[in-house]
Amino acid sequence: MEVTMVHFYPDLMNLYGSYANVSALRRYLERLGCTVKTETVVPGGGNFPHGDFFYMGAGTERNAKAVMEDFARFSRELKAAANDGAAMLFAGTAMELLGKSVREADGTAYAAAGLSEFTTEHRKTRIVGDVYGHTELFPEAVVGFMNKCGVITGIQTPLLSKADLGHGNEVPGGPEGFHWKNVFASELTGPLLIKNPRMLETVAAALYARRGQTLPVDRPPDPWAETGYRVTEEELRKQI
Amino acid sequence: MKKLLAIVLCKLGRAVGKLVGKGSSLPGKLALKVCPDILRRVQLPPQIIAVTGSNGKTSTVEMIAAILRAGGKSVVYNEEGSNQIEGVTTLVLTHAALTGKVNADVLLIESDERYAAKTFRYFYPTEFVVTNLYRDQLTRNGHPEWVYDALVPAMHPNTELILNADDPLSSCFAEGHEKVQWFGLDRCSISADTPSGVYHDGAYCPLCRHPMEYEYVHYNQIGSYRCTNCAHAKPKTDFTATALDLDAGTLTIDNETEIQLAFRSIYNVYNILAAYAAGRRAGIPSETITGVINRYVLKNGRMQTFRLGAHHGTLLTSKHENSIAYDTNLRYVASSKEDCVVLVIVDAVSRKYFTSETSWLWDIDFDQLNVPQVKRVILSGRYCNDLAERFFFTALTEWSVEPDIAAAAAQLRESGSEEVYVITCFSDRDKLLTHVEKEA
Repeated sequence: MEVTMVHFYPDLMNLYGSYANVSALRRYLERLGCTVKTETVVPGGGNFPHGDFFYMGAGTERNAKAVMEDFARFSRELKAAANDGAAMLFAGTAMELLGKSVREADGTAYAAAGLSEFTTEHRKTRIVGDVYGHTELFPEAVVGFMNKCGVITGIQTPLLSKADLGHGNEVPGGPEGFHWKNVFASELTGPLLIKNPRMLETVAAALYARRGQTLPVDRPPDPWAETGYRVTEEELRKQI
Repeated sequence: MKKLLAIVLCKLGRAVGKLVGKGSSLPGKLALKVCPDILRRVQLPPQIIAVTGSNGKTSTVEMIAAILRAGGKSVVYNEEGSNQIEGVTTLVLTHAALTGKVNADVLLIESDERYAAKTFRYFYPTEFVVTNLYRDQLTRNGHPEWVYDALVPAMHPNTELILNADDPLSSCFAEGHEKVQWFGLDRCSISADTPSGVYHDGAYCPLCRHPMEYEYVHYNQIGSYRCTNCAHAKPKTDFTATALDLDAGTLTIDNETEIQLAFRSIYNVYNILAAYAAGRRAGIPSETITGVINRYVLKNGRMQTFRLGAHHGTLLTSKHENSIAYDTNLRYVASSKEDCVVLVIVDAVSRKYFTSETSWLWDIDFDQLNVPQVKRVILSGRYCNDLAERFFFTALTEWSVEPDIAAAAAQLRESGSEEVYVITCFSDRDKLLTHVEKEA
């Protein structure tokens, strides 16, 4: 299968290893025999690309705002692709750009892509900390790290139903992220697909599903990622 | 009365703390409880030099202190590195007379970049050195721009800023500031044409978000940058490393002062430059500074040599959660002329707080180790699997995993005689040092 991955603003939205989500999915698909092509989108460059997977990583608040000025031109196509079942991952602060608006700590606001009606309000203090949460997509716990200053309200379909440790969209322990059709979004920073092998599998399955296929039953293992996950899961569980 | 009580309490607390081996921030904390504005009430020395930044604070402060003392000045500084307001308060009050007067020519302060604004609420430095601002400890710092914003209120208009001209972010502190001195490194033998590393924080202008171009790069995003849209560009430097030969271990400042480097790292070069600039601005002659920093070996022990079986080894203490610190040490290893083995240890992410966060491993350019002289790499510690997964995405093939640090050391002891480089953090360094024979 030939797969096209679209990586939005890889330099501006690339805090703390965000790029590795693309690397992880790419390698996962290649090990399944796919031919993978990655297209990058930079400010001012080109039309909305056709793709099987759309990705944006975490950025600083100023970078996210700058990106949104450019990303706004894709709002309609992005919604259409999402509605059509395209797989997407918006990780870290990129998640905020899927909502209706972002109000910054100084009180000014800007419109976001409007894929969903949720809104983000930035605070002057930062919300950082390890996260141990649960999703209805698979039984294993989701592990990661939160690094944001935004409080998100208005999400009806979160990615994580609750967090035993760490902050959710609005409150500590509350639901986190956003999930609709094959759109996955979470403010967990960094390579969450590497830290959570089941999440990687879920996103890959979503990509296959849009092509009317299911993931092959025999999939190459990644023992380092699996063991790394087990260690972190165990360490975080001790903190609950 | 409150002032006197705070001073006495702090002095007593410090004396007791020294006896029982406790840290240096608690006495200051007590003093601040008794008298919250004590730092306004004391009489500080005429010159106050502050040093902050993501990397190099402690080393730079140590060198500045040595330079100032060689220049005949009496200096008070936080040698133990307690760099938040409580530690600074301890420093000031333990060196103050009961009247509140600090008897020294210079108060030299290593300041935590996140909390500098709090420290300098009641007084301000005459000179403020900013070494750099990078990705560092996201678990407490958020991101570099967040730290930048936190530092801005600490920059008093009357303070002279001594800034790194080669850093596109911390150089922004000069915006709207009148008194600025710049240090930087000209194009030299180690310069590249484009930024290196696995991420590109210098790709876009921190002021207007338009693309930046580089004339040359010394490491990561540090070099000669120029925004394609606004005026943000590497400024003309006042204190300049005009030549650098890391192989020969020589650094030339302002075309006339040649310094022999005890540690041939680009980091060390920038720390020396910052210290040189601060020394010169404090009126210390160039020859005196050169005399101090020529072959200067840092006392803060971040580089330790040792023997392990037939191996000679070097421990390069890095900072977990700081990719540029790792990148710099990896570059140092990659520049080695001899065959070597590298041991990377991530056991506890931090010695000060718990986190299981390992995203920062993905910001490190481990592919730098993909050179012929690096014969193999051993990954060890509690997070060795995360390291292994990271290495799985590099072009390196000769790496293995040994979770137990003692077993990794034993494995090395039993075979080979290559040079060993160990890269790890303060939090994990002693876990290795107990298994080797340290050299003086």
